[in-house]
Amino acid sequence: MTALLEMRDVHVSFSGFQAVAGLNLTVEQGELRCLIGPNGAGKTTALDAICGKARAAAGEILYRNHDITRWQEYLIARLGIGRKFQVPSVFKDLTVRENLRVAYCKKLGVFHNLVRGHNGDSVDGLEKLAELVGLKDELHRPARRLSHGQTQWLEAALLVAQDADLILMDEPTAGMTSAETHKTAELFNRLKGRHTLIVVEHDMGFVREIGDTISVMHQGRILAEGKIAEIEQNPEVKRAYLGSGGISGA
Amino acid sequence: MKPSNYARWRLAGYLLFCVVIMIFPLILNNDYLLNKYMRYLVFGILSAALSFSWGYTGILNLGQAVSFGLGSYAMAMALKLRTIPIQTGAKGLPDFMVWNNVKTLPWFWEPFHSYAFAIFAGVAAPMLLALLLGWFMFRGRITGVFVAIITLAMLVVVNLLIIDQQKYTGGFNGITDLTTLKLFGITFDAYSSNTYYLIAGTLCVVLLGGLAITQTKTGLILQAIRDDENRVRYFGYDVAAYQNFAFTVSAGIAGLAGMLYTLVMEFASPTFLAVPLSLSIVIWCAVGGRGSLIGAALGAILVTGVQGNLSESPTFLDTWMLVMGAIFIAVVLFLPKGLISLIDIAVEALNRRRNRAHGGQSKRPTMNMNDVALQGSKPMREV
Repeated sequence: MTALLEMRDVHVSFSGFQAVAGLNLTVEQGELRCLIGPNGAGKTTALDAICGKARAAAGEILYRNHDITRWQEYLIARLGIGRKFQVPSVFKDLTVRENLRVAYCKKLGVFHNLVRGHNGDSVDGLEKLAELVGLKDELHRPARRLSHGQTQWLEAALLVAQDADLILMDEPTAGMTSAETHKTAELFNRLKGRHTLIVVEHDMGFVREIGDTISVMHQGRILAEGKIAEIEQNPEVKRAYLGSGGISGA
Repeated sequence: MKPSNYARWRLAGYLLFCVVIMIFPLILNNDYLLNKYMRYLVFGILSAALSFSWGYTGILNLGQAVSFGLGSYAMAMALKLRTIPIQTGAKGLPDFMVWNNVKTLPWFWEPFHSYAFAIFAGVAAPMLLALLLGWFMFRGRITGVFVAIITLAMLVVVNLLIIDQQKYTGGFNGITDLTTLKLFGITFDAYSSNTYYLIAGTLCVVLLGGLAITQTKTGLILQAIRDDENRVRYFGYDVAAYQNFAFTVSAGIAGLAGMLYTLVMEFASPTFLAVPLSLSIVIWCAVGGRGSLIGAALGAILVTGVQGNLSESPTFLDTWMLVMGAIFIAVVLFLPKGLISLIDIAVEALNRRRNRAHGGQSKRPTMNMNDVALQGSKPMREV
């Protein structure tokens, strides 16, 4: 079986600065991969390169045997790659229900959607989803009235509604309480298997809770890869994190 | 209020407005005033069109008057070819062409012998132009203030082109001395109630049709694009196609308004696609409420109405511009969502009062678990 996602020697640079330099990463179907590394290691840029936000200058990115290296973002999304950004981004002027309806869409063309009402397809499923993330009573509220935690949950729900095969998460627990972090970990473990996830995360407690395989990035490439116990013992990783109190203090 | 109720009340409001403008000529028995109100209604259509692209999709089109002007000229060209003034040349060559030593009718004037073509062109030409411009802008990811600048530049270019090509367009004078439109045996005179009903009917169709579009999934995606177009892109929607759809539909409606304006004014002029008018549309839209089609239409009718009355009244002869300016500033400062938001504010106040009358227990917002949790949350590490 070939891998779901394969990045081969990918380079991305921003006006001369090499954010990603020779990244090789292979992710199998159904895996939950954590991507960690010190600040500036190129983790977010790696996700950007996959979903088309940043263009790779060299190398190739294969997804289900499609070479998506130079594809437009919306076409990559249509292949089944979803993205959650570091700063929570939901549609603030739309209600929670409308937010979910934007995310939940099988047909994406202008004219197809012109003949469909606001409340056409499977409202049931969306309500169940809202219940899952604890937003059932907020369906009619505009998203701007939600608290920070609720916004994070809404965004997670949007990704589930989108039903992407490969979900790219950038720091999903930023700004959450430990209880919320724990709840998020539960959600991720539920998604694991059905969806493939790549999660960029700083919170090692969270990584321990969800991670199978961890890839450590440093200076734009993969430094080490393996189970959490192996990673914590790896001398090269320790060196990369030197000054920030080792990996557990990151 | 529950969303389904809200939608019902809104539809009722739209229908009420349609009924009011349709029975208006029955109350008013003054042809001069009727002509004036027709103008206001045409501006209402124009403003509603901008609300569709600006208020719903977030595309601030400062060149909306291009579409308006093109529609206006299309209608004027068709009407001009049917006039028989004294100085017409061979085969009914328009008088201004005779004065400019044009011997034969230019090829692009030929098809305007047909009303059907003219009416088609009055909508299709602005749409085509918008589609083309939109294709370059939206594929190139141009957004926000840059869209405003490009559309404004487009307006100036088209305006100069029309003024410069006097031989074919009548230049500064525009196209004047037009016949009255006669379709299916009905005469659309500038002072007749027939024309009024045509315009009011068009406004109703535009408002209700526009409202219907905003209720579809496409309408929802357009609003999502206004909020955060990048996020929409990562859900797999071709954002440029949606933006271009809104931009083009808006241009088509503006073209339609332009054609009607020619009927009301009995001429077409380069001032119809000049910068002052184009910027006025933005003001009407903002004053009425750009997020609402009917709000934008009402804004246009109110502003142009007040403007007309003030400038004609002896008391405000010298100061009416100041008064208008003060009104704009007040609305922008105190009602950023426009005059139409007064309704929302009033409904909310009414609800609050009703709740208080019921002992204040029923609808008081309760402290939410997540809100409580947030207070103890750890700070964001990276933004």
